[in-house]
Amino acid sequence: MKRTMRRSAIREELFGYACVAPQLLGFLLFVLGPLVMVFVYGFQSRNLLTGRVSFAGLANYRALLGDPLFFKSLKNTLVFTLGLVPLNVAASLLLSLALAGESRVNSFFRTVFFAPVVTAAAAWAIVWKFLLQGDQGVVNQLLGVVGIAGPNWLLDDAGAMAAVIVTRVIKNLGMNIVIYLAAVTNLPHELYEAARIDGASAAQRFRTLTLPLLMPTTIMISIITMIGSLKVFDHIMLLTQGGPSNATMVLVYYIYFQGFKVFRTGYASALATILFAIVLGLTFAQWRLGKRLSYQEE
Amino acid sequence: MKRVLILLLALCAATAAFAQGGAKTPVELRFTVWTGNEAHLQMLNGIAAKYTAAHPGVTVKFDTIPYDDYPQKLVLQLAGSNPPDAGWISEANAPAFVAAGNLADLTAAAAPYDLKDFSASATELWRKGSAIYGLPFSTSPLVVIYNKKLLAAAGAKTPSELEAKGQWTWEAFADLARTVKAKTGVYGFQTMDGSGYSDNLWATLVPMIRAYGGEVWNGKGVSTLDRPEAVKAVTLLHAMIYKDKSVVPPGEQADFFAGNAAMTVSQISRVSKLVGADFQWGLAKLPKGPAGDAQVIGQAAIVAFKASKNAALAADFAAFMTSKENVAVMTRFFPPARVSVLESESFTKGNPNIPPEAMASVVGAALKVGKILPNHPNFSEIDLAARACFDRLWRPDADVKSVMAAAARAVTPLLK
Repeated sequence: MKRTMRRSAIREELFGYACVAPQLLGFLLFVLGPLVMVFVYGFQSRNLLTGRVSFAGLANYRALLGDPLFFKSLKNTLVFTLGLVPLNVAASLLLSLALAGESRVNSFFRTVFFAPVVTAAAAWAIVWKFLLQGDQGVVNQLLGVVGIAGPNWLLDDAGAMAAVIVTRVIKNLGMNIVIYLAAVTNLPHELYEAARIDGASAAQRFRTLTLPLLMPTTIMISIITMIGSLKVFDHIMLLTQGGPSNATMVLVYYIYFQGFKVFRTGYASALATILFAIVLGLTFAQWRLGKRLSYQEE
Repeated sequence: MKRVLILLLALCAATAAFAQGGAKTPVELRFTVWTGNEAHLQMLNGIAAKYTAAHPGVTVKFDTIPYDDYPQKLVLQLAGSNPPDAGWISEANAPAFVAAGNLADLTAAAAPYDLKDFSASATELWRKGSAIYGLPFSTSPLVVIYNKKLLAAAGAKTPSELEAKGQWTWEAFADLARTVKAKTGVYGFQTMDGSGYSDNLWATLVPMIRAYGGEVWNGKGVSTLDRPEAVKAVTLLHAMIYKDKSVVPPGEQADFFAGNAAMTVSQISRVSKLVGADFQWGLAKLPKGPAGDAQVIGQAAIVAFKASKNAALAADFAAFMTSKENVAVMTRFFPPARVSVLESESFTKGNPNIPPEAMASVVGAALKVGKILPNHPNFSEIDLAARACFDRLWRPDADVKSVMAAAARAVTPLLK
């Protein structure tokens, strides 16, 4: 009896492994394998064009300490992330609260905000390039109506960074709204009712109930959005190619430049390893901080 | 037993026959190009069909990769064990590819096709020692293409008329653009392919800088972008964009080929885009400057890749494509590097869209005196560094002199 049970347990276990095997194989081949290789390549001098490979020790890491473009791309990545994450989280929170109820108008606007998420990145960038043109751009013409002379957005250092942040926020806002909406819908009504009876104002209810109750969701959204913004590439590639004067040269675009434009794959791998460490470190820190701030039901 | 033996023998014979047939399995050569133009591809397929007729079983597939991504995708394919067999390489990337050692030596394959017919200056970029790694199929000067309708509407003379009078200078060019803008409201000039501030930066700057007696870098590894000649030339361009507002400015879209600018600097391969245009157009050489006539040439060659499984066949096809006969066919879009073709009627009459006299007096004349666009083994990095500096130039209040000095400082270390 015992033996039969053990046998069926083993069989069940094997079946489980067989089920995850395809995914695991894909993960090993396409995620973990390349990840390990990137780490190894970081210690090599590799050139994709010539095919020459040699052991370089810490040379790549020493070189990046003296590379002004590396520090510039690091700074740009932080500016991009610090601009994008709060804007995205705040906007998606407020919009999800506004669009929470069931009505036709709300359904319409939910669709409107979600539409950019399913729009092709290339089409999105091309349209924005037209909208953000100098004198002829729609954005500047609209600003002109209220008496503001906008810059040639994508050719102005600060303007280009602002433009890539805002267009990226609009593009991805819909996804975070959907996540927030699920959380907002599940907020316990009795707490709000009690607060209302106690005479709490709308602002007080938002500050003392909504914000703490939504904290776990906010943390998750912040982490996901932060990782996405640290790894931003397509948006930069399509809108500014790191310009003007490297003002939007973010770390991943710089990795691409080193690896695939000047073919220094060893150096690019060292840069990618640094990015990996940064993302890992920040995610861990945010997670720990979030745990402390989060409201936990005992 | 006997039956079994017979069956086995028959099986062996069949296998042998199959293996023999296998040796003659059809070969498809993959040939990378950066043109997606139907007319260009039709012409290239015509040449490939001739090769197939002479070499049954060998076909060629032209694989289009957009120009901006071309070197990256090529290198990735080479590094990723998926090398094309042959393809095009432009002058900007020639030194890097030749030095990297992944091109096949074409000397032996090209021997039957009169290699000496290529002018020495045309093949200089592709030689290393006694080997030749690329056979130029296009040596195409930058020319001014102009819209006769817009110039007439502005009451201005055409570049060809000014050229005939010996008055075709960059100053006259700027005057013409200013007049068109003032009289018609349409831009006077669009930079090459509308990307003269980014991907075609050098094609925008070099013609003017050289005409003013300057250069972007010298043979001693020093960038000369900060010299007064270069600064003067770029100051004129800057004034055209921001003072005269006669040039399609950076970040804005207005296409010459759609009739939204009066002049552009381009190559004759783009003329096919004007078939069916609702305006008449003409061709002129690049204007002269204080240093005289400084024509600029873009070059591209056919190469075979060492890593190809059919490297010998690919080299043979590369040589075949650049035979006198096929170069004559390609003159329809790509001016030749073969002296015999350049001097023949097939050059002047090769492009049905361009009158023979324009082919001779504009394209042919520019080829005789022209100098190739800048190139360097480190070109990609130089390009990025220079572009980052020149981005500062594309604003109305830019200090041209200090931008050029910064560009020279950024480029010089990369020339070593």
